[in-house]
Amino acid sequence: MQVPNSDQAAKLNRRALLAGAIFLVGGGGALARFVRHTLAADAADGPLFSPEQFALLEQVSDVIIPATDTPGALDAGVPEFIRQMLTDWASRDTRAQIVAVLESVDKRAWDKFGSAFRELPGERRLEVMRAVDDDAVSREDVGYGKFKWLVLAGYYHSEVGATQELRFELVPGAWRSCLPLSEVGRASAVG
Amino acid sequence: MDFDAIVVGSGISGGWVAKELCERGLKTLMIERGPNVEHRTDYLDFAPPWEVPNRGQVPEDEKAEHYAIQSTCHAFNSASKKWWVRDSDHPYTTPPDRPYAWIRGYHLGGRSITWGRQTYRLSDYDFGANKLDGNGIDWPIRYEDLSPWYDRVERFAGISGSAEGLEQLPDGQFLPPMELNCVEQSFKEKIEASHPTRRVTVGRCAHLTEPTQEHISLGRGPCQLRSVCDRGCGYGAYFSTLSATLPAARKTGNLTVVTDAIVERLDYDHAKRRVSAVRVIDAKTRQGRSYQARVIFLCASTIGTAQILLSSRSEYFPNGLANSSDAVGRYLMDHVVGIGAKGTHPGFLDRYYYGRRPTGFYLPRYINVTEKDGVDFVRGFAFQGYSGRSTWDRARTEAGVGAELKQRLRSPGRWEMQLIGFGEMLPRAENRVTLDAKRTDQWGIPLVHLDCTHGENERRLAERANRDAAAMLAAAGFENVESNGAIRPPGQSVHEMGTARMGRDPATSVLNRYNQAHDVANLFVTDGSCMVSTGTANPSLTYMALSARAANHAADLLSSSEI
Repeated sequence: MQVPNSDQAAKLNRRALLAGAIFLVGGGGALARFVRHTLAADAADGPLFSPEQFALLEQVSDVIIPATDTPGALDAGVPEFIRQMLTDWASRDTRAQIVAVLESVDKRAWDKFGSAFRELPGERRLEVMRAVDDDAVSREDVGYGKFKWLVLAGYYHSEVGATQELRFELVPGAWRSCLPLSEVGRASAVG
Repeated sequence: MDFDAIVVGSGISGGWVAKELCERGLKTLMIERGPNVEHRTDYLDFAPPWEVPNRGQVPEDEKAEHYAIQSTCHAFNSASKKWWVRDSDHPYTTPPDRPYAWIRGYHLGGRSITWGRQTYRLSDYDFGANKLDGNGIDWPIRYEDLSPWYDRVERFAGISGSAEGLEQLPDGQFLPPMELNCVEQSFKEKIEASHPTRRVTVGRCAHLTEPTQEHISLGRGPCQLRSVCDRGCGYGAYFSTLSATLPAARKTGNLTVVTDAIVERLDYDHAKRRVSAVRVIDAKTRQGRSYQARVIFLCASTIGTAQILLSSRSEYFPNGLANSSDAVGRYLMDHVVGIGAKGTHPGFLDRYYYGRRPTGFYLPRYINVTEKDGVDFVRGFAFQGYSGRSTWDRARTEAGVGAELKQRLRSPGRWEMQLIGFGEMLPRAENRVTLDAKRTDQWGIPLVHLDCTHGENERRLAERANRDAAAMLAAAGFENVESNGAIRPPGQSVHEMGTARMGRDPATSVLNRYNQAHDVANLFVTDGSCMVSTGTANPSLTYMALSARAANHAADLLSSSEI
């Protein structure tokens, strides 16, 4: 029996998710076109990350948004989301930039600790990632900005991130213009 | 005759004309060049963020290849993508050094689905401006002519807002206003204290805060504070053709709608001085056909209407239909945008809000109204603005990773405020729409050529707006204040107007005081092309009032057999 690899599984999950979305809104033409576009792109491009790169993406996502008292990036499916975005959204240049960010993390690990990122204990991974982030943010590095946004959007606009970590009401139903923050609780996932 | 009336276009203007004509008992045909849209079922407004395609992002290659112009509009995203034309399918030309952003959607309802829903009346400061400073020709109407029609369209559309008693921004028939948030309220108090000549009020907008029986009977409900308006609203809480005027027109039994029908030209019968037929091309089959009616309304948008008139050449109108004045296509204007300022507020960190209010605040024009000294330009500008606390996406440009980052983003960030200027643009003959002599679109219709630039008055006005916006933010206690830079290319405010202007003199204008063509008795134009000056405020409410007024005038003329 052939077991789908993680790439195929992610695609199947995404299709299932999209099918759900179509049903919910009663069938939008744009979404139907989007699904066709997605499937065509999948067929043309093949796997984006090697298994090693995808593992590194998982490790890096986990460091940027770890599980704490709430679920983290891995629970929210951030690596799978980023893989999907590189297939469906990113240009060739953006894909190269994202892969380069991952490579720079590993390079920083070797430079700093003489070891691959995956071999490092959690604390050192955090140290490496903090150094990469400080540098890239202060340089306003475009590729890193895209990567960090993908991690953040992948998490905070996932169901887990939006509803367990932050706050999201599909239908707020009211406007209350000035409240104590303590009464509202957490930040809204949508501005 | 096939119909009593034909309305070309289904946006805000076309929807209003169709509703009024149908309610007057006239058999009316609405012609839309794009596809049909079903209210509610064609909207993605119930998708939570995790179900929105690509978290709102349109694929980068697709955006660059097919939406280079449309994607510059703030309302363009993956959930609203179908409301914008593919630029690659609908080309136009400009001089290489003079860009123009023609932002539009071809589908039933037009831009009434994606509009900003800000609704303000013009005043006699606007209607009298051309006469006062000698730019352009005088408007053939004044505020008192339009005031009852503003009343009428506001009651039907449902406009929420606060009465302020300002001469330059007349009050209207308002539903209850939405409230300013804490920081906006503080800004209002500080600015009105330091500048008694200025006012801050909540944005007047076409949202139902308390629907009337008439609204409810059309299937509309109150605003749910979701702010997914650019996807279309299944509650019908904001005014659009699909939520409001179309259901009202359909209720009469007098409306026929055809979609995917591109108007190619209007035929002219010189003996009767009338449009004799509207020629359309089926967008899908490319077959031609024509429709006849007693009266024709062009509501195809400022540039689209100019294109149709210029394409409708005949022996008697070699430069385009109803164009004996040579004004058709000229005097293209758009509000000056890209101006303003932004800043952050250090305080109010223990305050927040609930819900996503779909409007901001408004700071009406004061220059050359309540502040006239030392102004080195004519006309003025107003600001739309809003304040809110930054969300998680601030971390893209703020350092931080790990549990510390996650903890920090649990709370909203600092309060930010933006002041977004809208400046008046003067009418100039050389800013114009023409037809490309050789190139045609995929339906064989000549391409539009747009040649439009800003002048010295717009530049001076923009400098002042940038300076004032920054000074007000600083005065109200904001930090990190940055003025905006240069004016964006014309078209970017999506308030294009002026290409078939009204006027008293047939030698210098296209339309009379009732939006009826001077040259052609049964032709009316009520979209933005009729505008004689831009005014400072967002124009859609004025298009509604002019459309309702013109449609009723045409119905009067038809019933007395004058046309």
